[in-house]
Amino acid sequence: MNGTIFKVLIGLAVAGLLAGSWGMGERLIYGLNPVAFGSYVPWGLWVSFYLFFLGLSAGAFLVTTMTYVFGMKRFEVIARLSAFTVLICLLCEVLFITLDLGRMERIYRFLLTPSFSSLMTWMFVFFNAMLVIYAIKTFLLARGDLVRWVGDPARRGRSIYRLLALGLTSYDASAWAREKRMVRLLSILSLPVGLLFYGTNGAFFAILMNRPIWNSALTPLLFIMAAILSGGALVTFLTFLFMHDEELIHGLGRAILFVLVTFLFLQAMQFFVGYQTGLAMTVTTLNLIAFGPYWYSFWIVHLLIGSLIPLILLTTRPHDSRAVAWACFLIVATFLSVRFNFVIPDLAIYKLDGLEETFFHPRLRTNYVPNLNEWLVSLWIVSLGLLAFLLGTRWLPVLSPEKEGSEHAI
Amino acid sequence: MAWNLPVEDQLVRMQRDLARAQKKNPPDIKWSMIIDVAKCIGCHACTIACVSENKLPPGVVYRPVLEEEIGHYPHVRRRFLPRPCMHCQNPPCTKVCPVTATYKNAQGVTIIRYERCIGCRYCLVACPYGARTSDFAEWYTKGTPELPGRLVGRKTASEGYESDPAAEYGKKWPKRGGGSPIGNARKCHFCLHRLAVGMLPACVTSCVGRATFFGDRNDPDSLVFSLLSSPRIHRLKEELGTQPTVYYLA
Repeated sequence: MNGTIFKVLIGLAVAGLLAGSWGMGERLIYGLNPVAFGSYVPWGLWVSFYLFFLGLSAGAFLVTTMTYVFGMKRFEVIARLSAFTVLICLLCEVLFITLDLGRMERIYRFLLTPSFSSLMTWMFVFFNAMLVIYAIKTFLLARGDLVRWVGDPARRGRSIYRLLALGLTSYDASAWAREKRMVRLLSILSLPVGLLFYGTNGAFFAILMNRPIWNSALTPLLFIMAAILSGGALVTFLTFLFMHDEELIHGLGRAILFVLVTFLFLQAMQFFVGYQTGLAMTVTTLNLIAFGPYWYSFWIVHLLIGSLIPLILLTTRPHDSRAVAWACFLIVATFLSVRFNFVIPDLAIYKLDGLEETFFHPRLRTNYVPNLNEWLVSLWIVSLGLLAFLLGTRWLPVLSPEKEGSEHAI
Repeated sequence: MAWNLPVEDQLVRMQRDLARAQKKNPPDIKWSMIIDVAKCIGCHACTIACVSENKLPPGVVYRPVLEEEIGHYPHVRRRFLPRPCMHCQNPPCTKVCPVTATYKNAQGVTIIRYERCIGCRYCLVACPYGARTSDFAEWYTKGTPELPGRLVGRKTASEGYESDPAAEYGKKWPKRGGGSPIGNARKCHFCLHRLAVGMLPACVTSCVGRATFFGDRNDPDSLVFSLLSSPRIHRLKEELGTQPTVYYLA
């Protein structure tokens, strides 16, 4: 990434933080009062964003799977970047879901009085497991360079790097070998933990009875595929931006194409089975997605821009890195619509006939449109994530081109 | 033609049932509510009584009365269905709570520990009856033009009547401002605070059509016990297996 683009992105992130701080201020002072969602549509834009970042965090999962399950050792070189991306995504994810809580100051209750019959508790457990795994992994992958940076007199802020390296002053081949083993162990551990994490997030919705689309065994699988698709697309795009490794990008492009086709097939199955079953609430929900007030987010944003164009690019120009990167960028940029179309329509139908005719209040309606406060808070979190990522790529050895870094990358 | 006037108001009988239940060992009591939809006239008195009793803010409702219009003009009928919390014996809402803030008490009433609830609203989504609402810190006086109060200050003067919290769950909650139950999930609790002092739930005493019955279904002498054997008895969404303890007489 050249300096100008970097500066522009930093500027955008700072501007986003400044603009979003108004919404954040309102959220922190007035709680959930300024938001547009209510009791019948209790989850809105922030839960959609949570799921969006959940998916993006799966990039490293794809990379690790390709390296260890399919034996594609070439993908080892992006392990550090993908692990760092996971950390940033998890940061955004936790901010979104914490701010969505009505009493976020009681989040410690997950530790004091957990209920293991709730999948939300398991989400909390697996989220923290992922956070710990990827924090340690990023640290171990970067420690060699951190130590080198400490000893580099030309580098500023060496005392901070010394602190980050946990006081280590020398880093020899035996230390590399030891940490390489640990990283390999963490990578292998991240496979079942990641699968459980993404699957649990799907099961979180799937177990809810009387929910027309969510309540299906397909949902956890769809979640895993959606996560791998959006996360893999993000890692591919970042690889194009920061590493310019043509062969790697082409390999990732092929994987993304496979996942995209599988994901679209599962989605088509969801619609086919739903319409064929003909249950009123299922048909109503599917109609809301396809022909409701947000029809364009399904047909134009998701299917046309986020699926068809990437599909054409990935099939017709698989050896053109720029085309692959564009395809991946479009998938990532439009994936929020997939999450939005998953969360809202299932909530936007009344659970009992007649409920819509009684007790009128904006909080007791099913027509939900995210308001300015929700967008500003979202802008703040996304900007914070972007800023942290950009500064990380500049000030931390997450992109170190040194050969040693690559060698002990996984 | 002879009129068979009731010997006593059913409220008197239910009051007697309640007094008898109070002498029992608490875990032996199983509270149930029965609603005779044929007698419901759709006056919404129960909804208002509930709002008043529990000092519910705007957007929070424990017992709405569902209205449905059937047929085409001029052959039109209206059907009313009061819908409190079903207090299911197999409740989907308690299982999903990540911090054990909601659970069933010994008498089978599904309750919420406000001081523990984190406000994730998973229970709202899980309830198949839409019986839970979230408190979004709404005020009836929101946006009302204010005049400076001479003695007590403008804020207290304008919002004073709705700043006092309800005595839900028999507790003295802090003045309504930023603390719980703001941000929490809220729901019908069969007016446990009233039952504790020998009073029937607000929706029962306020029902002008005497369509709502309440009592201990474990007591063979109670009114609800006798009504449960009616062939008209049914429950909402029986197929889900939630086993509500709120029954309807069709």
